[in-house]
Amino acid sequence: MSDTGVSTKQSRLFALPKFLSGEHPFPWLLPATAMMVVFGVYPLLYAIWISMHKRNAATRVNVWDPTYNWIRALSDDRVWNALFNTLTYTSLALIIQLVLGMGIALLLDSDRKGYGVLRALMTLPLVVPPAVTAMMYLLMLDGSFGVLSRSLYALHLLSPAKPILANSATALPGVLLADIWQWTPFMVLIMMAGLRSLPKEPFEAAAIDGATSIQAFFRLTLPLMSRVIAIAVLIRGIDLFRIFDYVKVMTDSGPGTATETLTSYSGRIYFSGEFPYASTLALLTLIFVILISTAFMKLFRVRL
Amino acid sequence: MEQPLLYRRLRDLVAIAVVAVFMFPIFWWALTSIKPRHAIFNKDEVVVFNFEPTAINYKVVLLGQSRSEIAIDSGNTFGVGGNSSYDSRQTIIDSMIIAVGSTILTTFIAMLASYAISRMSFRGRNGYLNWVLGQRFMPPVAIIVPLVSMYKTLGMRDTDNLFMGYIGLILMHALINLPIAILLMKSFFDDVPKDVDEAAMIDGATRWQTFRKVIMPMVRGGMAATAVLCFIFSWTEFLLSLFLTTTIRTVPVKITTFVTSTGSEWGFISALGTAAIIPGFIFILLVQRHLVRGLTLGSLKE
Repeated sequence: MSDTGVSTKQSRLFALPKFLSGEHPFPWLLPATAMMVVFGVYPLLYAIWISMHKRNAATRVNVWDPTYNWIRALSDDRVWNALFNTLTYTSLALIIQLVLGMGIALLLDSDRKGYGVLRALMTLPLVVPPAVTAMMYLLMLDGSFGVLSRSLYALHLLSPAKPILANSATALPGVLLADIWQWTPFMVLIMMAGLRSLPKEPFEAAAIDGATSIQAFFRLTLPLMSRVIAIAVLIRGIDLFRIFDYVKVMTDSGPGTATETLTSYSGRIYFSGEFPYASTLALLTLIFVILISTAFMKLFRVRL
Repeated sequence: MEQPLLYRRLRDLVAIAVVAVFMFPIFWWALTSIKPRHAIFNKDEVVVFNFEPTAINYKVVLLGQSRSEIAIDSGNTFGVGGNSSYDSRQTIIDSMIIAVGSTILTTFIAMLASYAISRMSFRGRNGYLNWVLGQRFMPPVAIIVPLVSMYKTLGMRDTDNLFMGYIGLILMHALINLPIAILLMKSFFDDVPKDVDEAAMIDGATRWQTFRKVIMPMVRGGMAATAVLCFIFSWTEFLLSLFLTTTIRTVPVKITTFVTSTGSEWGFISALGTAAIIPGFIFILLVQRHLVRGLTLGSLKE
């Protein structure tokens, strides 16, 4: 085995620094880190820098003025309206998706014949592009020929004079409907995994002690699943807070500003060409996400 | 403990009803794609089954026939004009290139990083993990402005160079998928006992060999689940594709261009939408078992 000898010798001659060897985490983490720095951190710093400029509408030149956009954002009523909409949307969607997700997971968690097919069908909404989902609901909620709108008219829950997406009181629930349809299956998947991993013994003991299934659910299932639920809320909450696709396609923030969220407001400003203010609003969203999710992780002791 | 028959039948019924409710929009969507125009836009009654099915929408969207060609064939020239901008063949190819490219890139990079996070102890490991998750906090709108100007400087916009345009979007899709892919893969690596690595290394394997020959085959299912999730997220991504590209059109962006100021072409929209669901659904069925396990990000272990 002369060539192993040669290769050892060579590797000693050209000995790599220790942090470049396979034993050190550095080379393993390098590609991921490089990518996140170049395409994530650098643009973020750039965005902060842009947000500290004031755009002159006439000359289209950005002038250094570090606080202008931030003060403007904090005194902008539309920002507070957007924040309120975002929070309403996020919390409503989270609660409904969590409850429905848990319920449907309990319902479909059975080994009997046919339930595998039902579970597979349940994942179908997840693969629909959100923009397409938004269009689907746009079609079904269309004021004159949409099938859902017409069913609601027939049930007298809604009047044809006030189409659901064109009315500021019902537009947000309309958008919410698309989100709930698309993401409840995601919750079902997570909850199902949680249910499947529950230990059997406590439930058997509870059954022997004569506990009803409702008692077992609240006293055993929920506490045992708390970590899973916390992770699900965190992941979904982050995505919900940055909601863009549904609002952009279904209502384009309207009517008026009734469905305007922080990201869709930022997008609107972006399209008007005022990049510094658009960046400021997007960064503001980021700050809120970090604050809320950090508080959540501390409060519920979520560890990754 | 056998439950009474009545209870079981009732549960079956409820389960089927719930799934049916969730299937309804897709069913309606697929149904719309084979309806003729007048059945879709019928304002007098909701047309459910009483129509002549037609393949015209698929012919336009997937085969690139122009509407006038079809209209002349069928003898109905209602609402015909101009060339078809509804031909989506190139769009589907674009979407495929970007989704497959970014999936391979993300899965590979995430495997390396998550193996190190799972197996090696180093200073700042938890901080690094939190930073990875933090990447996901970022609303894509926040980095759009800098990215566009960065790509402009580097000549990476699709209008400068088509090839670099693909690369640019692939990189961005990989970036947004990276956090979730790393967290997922880490939970799959964590499932493999550390003794396995140690045994391999005692036998003389290097870290890299242990990873390639021993650990990777053991997490194949998890790898597939991660890849499928990345594929679906890239295939369905809207915002970055919308802002970063002009000539390259992914399916979700293309479909929104079918909504015009003169009205929405629901027939074409639903045909392309229905076709766009199929690849993702096939993939998700193949890996469902692993996906269910992985999506809890390892929160099940104590």
